[in-house]
Amino acid sequence: MVRDGDYVAVFNSVHRVMEAEKLLKDLRLAVLLIPAPRALAADCGLALRYAEDARGEVEGALAKNGLLPRELYRKTGGGFTKLEVEL
Amino acid sequence: MKELDVRGLSCPAPVVSVKRALEAGEGELRVILDNGAPRENVRRFAQGRGYSVQEEPFEGGFALTLAGEPKPKLQGSGQAAGPLVMLVGSDRLGDGPEELGRLLMRNFLMTLPELGELPDRMLFVNTGVLLTAAGSEVLEALEALGNRGVELLSCGVCLDFFQKKESLGAGGVTNMFTIAESLVGARSVVRL
Repeated sequence: MVRDGDYVAVFNSVHRVMEAEKLLKDLRLAVLLIPAPRALAADCGLALRYAEDARGEVEGALAKNGLLPRELYRKTGGGFTKLEVEL
Repeated sequence: MKELDVRGLSCPAPVVSVKRALEAGEGELRVILDNGAPRENVRRFAQGRGYSVQEEPFEGGFALTLAGEPKPKLQGSGQAAGPLVMLVGSDRLGDGPEELGRLLMRNFLMTLPELGELPDRMLFVNTGVLLTAAGSEVLEALEALGNRGVELLSCGVCLDFFQKKESLGAGGVTNMFTIAESLVGARSVVRL
């Protein structure tokens, strides 16, 4: 479900990830709610996936609405690289 | 040797066609297909089922010769034969808040392609057909399942009821005869 170069935003609660999904879908941004990849072991087991070209708008909207993820990763090669969640 | 030409078909149709031909049990099969995803998916599917695969360039695409015997799917002698069928009778998983149920069903279907053993056939009925219709969030996961040889069938009456008959996004359409026959003939049915 996650392609190379995709971003995966992991949230700390199911309510936050659902709220974030609704916000981003209302803004017509290309995000997909996915099961958190096993390697990332998120508490709630859910994450948002988006591509590089949507990153700026997605993270901008999340920051503006106080819905930044707990952790952010990028799929590279066979694994995930952890990124800083920028405010 | 039987020959199957699946050039021009988009995924997962090549895998579905190959699966049907192999299950018809006509020995070696030569499949002519496009390079790229169809070639990769058919090769992975056939090898996963225990067939040997020989590839050769053919008229701008590839010809794959599948030979051998499929791996036995069942272990132990006490189990009945027949396919493993999953009946998806709703677009929600479990009882409780609708929003949570829909989220859990999406989560389940997106997790399924990660598993080693998959159902042979998935039947979508009632609001389950909303999952296979265009615009569904799980079409990507259903395509991944199709590419691994899972047959996806949606109830035609149900699609008609929801006015989705013209907008099926994954798998094929079936009728109650096939649904009933599949359930009765299954070695095991997983009902969601």
